[in-house]
Amino acid sequence: MSSFKKLLSLLSAAAVAVSAMTVNVSALETYDPYSYDRWGDAVASQAGYTAEKYVDGETIGCGSLFEPADLFISHDDLMYIADKGNNRIVITDLDFNFKKEMKEFSYNGETLTLKKPTGVFVDQYTGNIYICDTENDRVIKCDTDGNVDRLFTKPNSELYDQNLTYNPSKVLVDKAGNVYIVVKSQTKGAVMFNSNGEFLGFYGANRVEATAEVLANAFWNLIGTQAQKDRRAKQTPIGFSNFDIDDDGFIFTVTDSQEVDTDLVKKLNPRGDNILDSLGAADMTFGDIPPAYYSIYSKKSSLTDIDLGPNGELNILDFQHGRIFQYDKECWLLFIMGGSGDQLGMFLSAAAVESHDNHLYVLDSRKNNITIFTRTVFGEIVTNAANLYNDGLYEESLEPWRNVLKYDGNYRRAYIGIGNALYNKYEYKEAMEYFEISISRGRYNRAFEGYRDQWLKDNYVAAIIVIIVLIVLISIYKRMRRRGKIVYPWEKNRKGGV
Amino acid sequence: MLDLTKGQFVKHVVMHPFEGFEDLRWKKQGSMGIAFAVVCLLFVQQIAYNRLYGFQYYSDYDKIFNIVPYLFRSFILFGTWVVANWAMCTLFDGEGTMKNIFVNSAYALIPYIAGYLIGTVMSHFLIQDEYVFIQSVEVIGTCWSFVLLISGIKAVHQFSFGKTIALMLLTLVAMVAILFLLVLLLTLFQQVLIFILSIYTELSYRFRV
Repeated sequence: MSSFKKLLSLLSAAAVAVSAMTVNVSALETYDPYSYDRWGDAVASQAGYTAEKYVDGETIGCGSLFEPADLFISHDDLMYIADKGNNRIVITDLDFNFKKEMKEFSYNGETLTLKKPTGVFVDQYTGNIYICDTENDRVIKCDTDGNVDRLFTKPNSELYDQNLTYNPSKVLVDKAGNVYIVVKSQTKGAVMFNSNGEFLGFYGANRVEATAEVLANAFWNLIGTQAQKDRRAKQTPIGFSNFDIDDDGFIFTVTDSQEVDTDLVKKLNPRGDNILDSLGAADMTFGDIPPAYYSIYSKKSSLTDIDLGPNGELNILDFQHGRIFQYDKECWLLFIMGGSGDQLGMFLSAAAVESHDNHLYVLDSRKNNITIFTRTVFGEIVTNAANLYNDGLYEESLEPWRNVLKYDGNYRRAYIGIGNALYNKYEYKEAMEYFEISISRGRYNRAFEGYRDQWLKDNYVAAIIVIIVLIVLISIYKRMRRRGKIVYPWEKNRKGGV
Repeated sequence: MLDLTKGQFVKHVVMHPFEGFEDLRWKKQGSMGIAFAVVCLLFVQQIAYNRLYGFQYYSDYDKIFNIVPYLFRSFILFGTWVVANWAMCTLFDGEGTMKNIFVNSAYALIPYIAGYLIGTVMSHFLIQDEYVFIQSVEVIGTCWSFVLLISGIKAVHQFSFGKTIALMLLTLVAMVAILFLLVLLLTLFQQVLIFILSIYTELSYRFRV
C-alpha cells in the first residue's frame, strides 16, 4: 500500500513538473488554435499570431468607419481603407495616426465623388492611387492629391458583353502599368487595361469544375448537332473574387465560391496560367477541411481575400468562419487564426487582410474596425524555420524545427523538417523515425534506402558469412534428413519406409 | 505409394497442383484441423497486410482499428464460399461433402497466404523502386492458389474442367445472394430489437411513477 502511495505521489510530481515545463503562449487567444495532421484531422496547436488590439474610426480620428470594404498597405507604409459606407478613402500611417481622407477628386475641372468604393490599390512604382468606385461603374486613377489622371470605365469593345453590369470591386496594377480589375458579373477573368486605358482583354479565368453535369454535357455536345449545342446551357466558371500581386509580378487569386473546389487559390504568371499546378495544386486544399472538429458547423470556407507577406507567405481570409489561414510560399499551412464571434481576434464579417512586417491587419465590415495580429514567439520560430527550409538550408533549419516541437508536438511540418535535415547529414536511422512520425512515405523511402545502403556497406562481410553459414547448415540438414538421422515425433507413426 | 501423414499431405497437395487433390481424396487424408488453421492464418495475413507492411509502401489510418472487415475478408468470406459451393454442387451432382470442400478450399489458399506473408516480410527490406519483386511473389502466390482451387474443386466433385469453372462462377453468384440475405436478416433483426427495446422503454416509463 505504501509503495502504491509512493508511486502515486511520484506520478503527480512528474505531472506537475511536465506541466511546468510546457511553454504555453496561446493562453490568451479567444479561440482554440488548431492545425491539421497528415489525415486532415484537426489537432490542437499553438497560436502563430495573437490578436493584440483593434482600432476603429474613433481611435484613428476620422469619424467612425461604416462598412469598410478594403484595406491596402502601400510601399511607403501608409494604410488605405476603402470606407464604403462613408464613400471615402481613409489614409493613416501604421500607428493609426490619421493622415487624410479622400472624398473629392478633380478631373478636367469637374469634381468627382465616390459611391460605395470597395477596392483601393497604390502602385509602388509610380505612387498612383487606384480606387474602385463601384457604384459609379469606374476605376479612378489619381495622384495623392486627388487629381484624377484617368478613368477606367466599361470597355466599349465587342469582346465585352455590354449587357453585363460593370461594378469594379478590386483592382491592382502590375510593373508595366497594366490595370487588372475584378468585376463581379464577369466570369471570364479580370478585366485588363493597359496604362493608356485601352481594354486588352480578360486575364486568368477559372476553369469549369468537372462535375457530373458538365461531363454529361460534354458528352452530348460530342454527338449533338449544332442546333442542339446552341440550345444547351453554356458552362461558365465562377469568377475569382479577389487578388494580390507579389514583387515578381505573379498575381494570386482567390475565389469565394462554396460550391466548387477547382481553382480556389491560384498563382498566375503573366500569361494567366496557374503555376501552382506544378506544385501539385490538385492535391492542395486551402481553407478549412470540413468537417473540422473545432468548428461548430462544418461549412465550406469562403475565401474572400488574399495577401502576400514579406516572405511570400499567403494570408488567406475565410469569410465563412472568420479565419485567416497562413501558408508559406510552398503552400504549406503555417497557422490558422481567428474565428466567428464578437471577441477580439474573431470576426463577424471579415472583409480584407493585409500584412506588414510581423503584423496582420484584418478589416471587419460589420464591426467597422481593424484587428491587429502580432506574430507570437512560436510564430517567429516557425516562420524562421520554414524560411530556412524553403531556401534549401535543411541543416540550418534543424535547430529551429526542434524548437518548434518544444512548443507544439502536433506540428507535422517540424517532423518533416527535422527528418530532411537529418537525411542531409546522412543520419538515416533518425531521419526514418521522424518521417515515420510525420507519415511521409516518400521521404521515409529515401531515408530507408540510404539506411540500407549504409548498413550493407558496414556489414558486407558479416552478411556474406551469415549467408554462407546458412547455406551450409541447410545442406547439412537436408543430407541428414535424407539419411533418416532426423525424425520428428509426428513422423513416428508413418507407415512404411521413408 | 503415398503413405503420407496428414501433415505431409498438405505439402504434397500444394506442390502437386494437378494430381495432389486426387491423391488426397483417394487417401482420405484431409484434416479439418489443418484446414481451420489455414483459415485462421488467412485472417492473420489480412491484418498483417494492412498493419505490418513496410512503412515505405503503405501507411494506414491507424487511429482506429476495426476488426470486422478483417473477420469478413477471412472467416465470413471463406465460410460463404464453402456453403455456396456445397449448395451449388448439389444441383450439379457433385460428390463433395461440406467437409471436403472446406478442406480442399483451405489447402488451396496456402500459396496465396504464403505469398502475401512473404511479401509483407520482404516489404521491410526493399524500397519503393523494388516493389516489383514483392508484387511478383504476391502475384505468383495468387495464381498458384487459383490453379489449386480449380484443381481442388474439380477433384472434390469429380467434375470436368469446364463444369468446374461453371460451378465456381455460380458459386460466386450464390455467395452474393447469401451475403445479401444475411445483410437483410441482420437489418431485420435490428428492427425487431429496436421494436422490443422501444416497448421496454415505453413500459419502464409507464411503471415508473
